[in-house]
Amino acid sequence: MNRPYKILVVDDEPDLEPLMLQRMRRHIRAGRYSFVFARNGLEALDRLNEDGDIDMVLSDINMPQMDGLTLLEQIPKVDPNIRSVIISAYGDMKNIRTAMNRGAFDFVTKPVDFKDLQITIERTLAHMMEWREALSYRDKLVSIQNELEVASRIQQSILPSEFPDDLRYQVYGNMEPARDVGGDFFDIMLLDEGQIGLAIADVSDKGVPAALFMMSCRTLLKGVAIGLTEPGAVLGEVNDLLHEDNETMLFVTVLYAVYNPSTGEFTYASGGHDAPLLIRSDGSVSLLPLTDGIALGVVPELEYKQHSITLGPGDTVVLYTDGVTEAQNTDGSAFEVDGLHQIFAGSSAYLKAREGTDLVFEKVREFMGEASQFDDITCLTLHRDN
Amino acid sequence: MDVTSQRTGGALIVSVEGRVDGANARKFQKAVESVIDDDDGAVILDMENLSYISSAGLRSILLIAKGLQKRNSQFAVCSLQDAIGEVFRIVGFDKIVTIHSSQGEAVSAMGS
Repeated sequence: MNRPYKILVVDDEPDLEPLMLQRMRRHIRAGRYSFVFARNGLEALDRLNEDGDIDMVLSDINMPQMDGLTLLEQIPKVDPNIRSVIISAYGDMKNIRTAMNRGAFDFVTKPVDFKDLQITIERTLAHMMEWREALSYRDKLVSIQNELEVASRIQQSILPSEFPDDLRYQVYGNMEPARDVGGDFFDIMLLDEGQIGLAIADVSDKGVPAALFMMSCRTLLKGVAIGLTEPGAVLGEVNDLLHEDNETMLFVTVLYAVYNPSTGEFTYASGGHDAPLLIRSDGSVSLLPLTDGIALGVVPELEYKQHSITLGPGDTVVLYTDGVTEAQNTDGSAFEVDGLHQIFAGSSAYLKAREGTDLVFEKVREFMGEASQFDDITCLTLHRDN
Repeated sequence: MDVTSQRTGGALIVSVEGRVDGANARKFQKAVESVIDDDDGAVILDMENLSYISSAGLRSILLIAKGLQKRNSQFAVCSLQDAIGEVFRIVGFDKIVTIHSSQGEAVSAMGS
């Protein structure tokens, strides 16, 4: 602090002012303290309101017009961060107690021992500085919290909220972040020749670094997907782009698929992502084979294999992140792939995309019960209409 | 999560117990790094008693592996429980991190 601490001394004894200035002269000269004086509580309040930069108040109790105990009640209304010290008669425990109850930080007794007073002033100022520091940290935390909420809204807003309207197929996705900013995302891209690109991804870790990585991953994926039609080639390209300068070793698991609505051909490649679930129109449920790809961003120049299946009318594919399969209930057991199987086993060909995604969220939440959500939960469902 | 270490043959065995997730992945990484920094040889991460690892934990393992690669030390993991092995396989890290089925196998592989 560059300016001296400003102390307001309130006492109806006119002698105190020269005495204080004389006894504290060294500290005043050193630029440690400056003093202002008032003769009663009312005057003191005027000074506090006018000056605005008073750090502490040192006040007598018995004064005309407004006494010290009343003044103590008024000070927080002017500035709750000002600390007060009371000067009381020796042994006047009743008033001292009242003063402490009204928020006085400390007291000194008459006749004033200036050496003791100086120690009390230093203690009070030290406390006040710590208090101010704590307040500023709190304000910073509040502002960081606000920024995280904005980041979370930005992140949510880049996820598709409208889905293609096509008689031949339906697609519907949803993501629920575990913390303010998460690492999961999904995307739906309209490609050349009426094909659609479907992506679901999970960035390692949560929080701000993961969210930034996720944003760049999503942008790269979108850009690359528009130029390349083979899912394996798309993952290879995005992997190389993400790997450049990736000192943080953040990585992302991605399942990227291209669906051809005319033929029902569904071609996918996995970069370290969980296998999609296939629900045939007869109600049989199976996991599609993994394509053995490594999560993106870790090792450069990889070739990603892809795999194709044909969706018949009424077939459904469910893409999900491990937030679904690793969701825990209060006993600590996980939802697992089995949980997903059970949701869809025996479901009819009339299951729609939105129903599929909503059902996953409903069943996972039901399973979790009161347990808290540790990971982002994301699900994207594709359904070929009859 | 608990990390302990012991020297066996030519390698430093670092054992991790419990869960490694987003909440303690950095703590796990620091704990492992603090024991391997006192050493300049091969490191085996024994996962026999590791019950769960999240992607944040996998990232910590990548960072540990990267640090060891920089100082030319061999690195392997061993004794993965089935669920952990499955996580490594899905994410594809079985192709970039050496995995042994037991501590003994890892030690003899490192010695050769």
